[in-house]
Amino acid sequence: MIQVEHVRRSFADLVAVDDISFEVRDGEIFGLLGPNGAGKTTTINMICGVLQPDGGRVLVDDADIWIDPRKVKMSLGVVPQEIAVYEDLTARDNLNFWGSLYGLGGAELKRRVDEVLSRVGLAERAGDKVKQFSGGMKRRLNLCMGLLHSPKFLLLDEPTVGIDPQARLNILDVIREVAAGGTTVLYTTHYMDEAEELCDRIAIIDHGRILTEGTLEELTKMAGEGEMIRLTGSFDLDRGRGLFGQIEGVQVHSVADGRAVLSVEVDGPGLTGVLPRLFESELAVDDVSIQKPSLQSVFIRLTGRELRD
Amino acid sequence: MVQFDILRRDLTRFARNPAATALMFAIPLSMAGIFSLVFGSGGGGEAITLEVLVFDEDDSLLSYLLTGASSESSIDQRLQLVPVGEEGYRMMEEGEANALLHIPEGFTKDYLDGKPVKLEIVKNPAQRFLPQLVEEGVSLGAVVLSQAANVFGPELATIGSFMDIEGVPPDVQVGTLSVAINQKIRGLESYLLPPIIDLETMNLATEEDDSDVNILALILPGMSIFGIFLVAQAATRDILLERESGMLRHLLTAPITVAEYVVGKSLSVVVVTALGFIVLVAVGLAAGVAWGPPTAVLALISASSLAAAGTMILIMSLVGSQRQGDAVTTIVIIVWSMLGGAFVQLDGIPTLLQPLSKTTVTYWAVDGFNELIQRGGDFSHILPNLAVLTIFGVVTLAAGAVVLRRRIVTGMV
Repeated sequence: MIQVEHVRRSFADLVAVDDISFEVRDGEIFGLLGPNGAGKTTTINMICGVLQPDGGRVLVDDADIWIDPRKVKMSLGVVPQEIAVYEDLTARDNLNFWGSLYGLGGAELKRRVDEVLSRVGLAERAGDKVKQFSGGMKRRLNLCMGLLHSPKFLLLDEPTVGIDPQARLNILDVIREVAAGGTTVLYTTHYMDEAEELCDRIAIIDHGRILTEGTLEELTKMAGEGEMIRLTGSFDLDRGRGLFGQIEGVQVHSVADGRAVLSVEVDGPGLTGVLPRLFESELAVDDVSIQKPSLQSVFIRLTGRELRD
Repeated sequence: MVQFDILRRDLTRFARNPAATALMFAIPLSMAGIFSLVFGSGGGGEAITLEVLVFDEDDSLLSYLLTGASSESSIDQRLQLVPVGEEGYRMMEEGEANALLHIPEGFTKDYLDGKPVKLEIVKNPAQRFLPQLVEEGVSLGAVVLSQAANVFGPELATIGSFMDIEGVPPDVQVGTLSVAINQKIRGLESYLLPPIIDLETMNLATEEDDSDVNILALILPGMSIFGIFLVAQAATRDILLERESGMLRHLLTAPITVAEYVVGKSLSVVVVTALGFIVLVAVGLAAGVAWGPPTAVLALISASSLAAAGTMILIMSLVGSQRQGDAVTTIVIIVWSMLGGAFVQLDGIPTLLQPLSKTTVTYWAVDGFNELIQRGGDFSHILPNLAVLTIFGVVTLAAGAVVLRRRIVTGMV
């Protein structure tokens, strides 16, 4: 289990991580969801020992990485956001070097290299220089480096950024397989669909703070939300805000000229009760879209803004 | 040990990029080759001969003296005078000679009469140095003739009058002229003799060793030092690349400490630099350069590589980006190479700058190789060089490692 306890980290005047606590339980896929700059990478860097926290502590199987770094690092596999591979080496060269850092060698290293390359579909390109790879292939090789020594914990920092859908699906499939094999996964992302599809539990992080955490179901219930209603039409900000606020069972999240985001309160009249009231109003509504409760709606409710890619 | 894993990885990277690796060595080797071609092979090349066209419209005493002087054996090898007519100007336009000397009609008579005279030189516009040599030579001759005209004016006028006489001049006039010239020379004797300037030309080659000097032996050590700095720069650039690409952060998630990484990287830079040096030395050996006693050469290679690697690592640990690192290290390499004698022989560096030379790694390395190659020194003779290079290398390497480690730990990298 990974325990993050009241961890803080600042860079000059910028508070990147502000007293966060959460735990990643054995065998689960735990998602850290937040926009760019929320503090996800700083958190990962503190868990894997690249950055020392200003306060608080991180325990991996009850061991502090700053006290027993070798033991903890041997149990961690890290896939960074950057594609951290040597482009002038072959895929096999890269993995051979990486494996040697974990004490792998000889036939065991070769077996593991073949296994992970095969798992991500790069076995046939093992002898090619990485500079000849596409972005998606480099991402998959990046993933291999985290998996090579069969770690107990796998930390993935936005591993699907900037790649094609096929490569993305491949990476997500591999992560599911690895997790099914008993590896505990900490997965950071700003893609809500990935967090919804992949993660057993999710923590939402913004401005260095954990806003909430739980399963997808718990989060949507926790937010107390019904459906999200998005409106576009010919109304100005003041008029829209005034009229929407008068409708019973509706919570107003954001209103701008010609656009509004509302949510239906769970304990109110419900969607069927709210919609007629909207159309009866004097507002000229051109388009209405209705969304089921999602992480997006949770994030909007918690932060007042959308989590954009 | 992870340090050796890092070393093996870096050597693999060089092996996987033979073109880039060869290019690193090609720069110093090409420069050494170009220098050798420009300055010749030390005796095997052809001597330079000046070819001057002489358009002599005067056809009299002075022109005979001039052309006669050129037949003296030592001058004859260097100066070829070709009598021409007016076609000489056309030949110059076609670049067939280095220069044309035009002696106008009446030159000798006017000179002997003490009148102003003029010589004309036409230089080959396509050439720079050789026509300049001709011009300087003729200018010197003009000065001598002018001074002779000042001192022997009346006597020269008498000689001029002889030219108008048909047949042999009267014995009395010749005798009077001889006495007058003799008296003037006696009067000048105290000024002219003995000459206060004695010019002696020395050859560097001794009688026992009259073999040709291998110009590569003079050039390659300096070029090799320049070359190993380039190798060290390339090897150290990796630190910045790893910093900027996120590879370093990734590496530190593996069971490797910052200190182990820094030591491993330093070891890698030193070894790669030393291997590069060995390649350059081997090329020199193949070209006939006698580097000196092998143990002394190896010690100097190791110490020089250590110092070059230490310098580069310290700089790279201080700069903020690869671009800054490249700029600063390139400036250091060029300035040190110029000051330290990599591009010119150490005794060719201006006296004013020579104290600065000794502050450079390049100086101590080049001087060490000069000691072994040119002065026939052995291990004991280069001990000061080894000490300076080793101490400098260890200090800069340690300082670079400490700075780099601190920057990584504090999150600046």
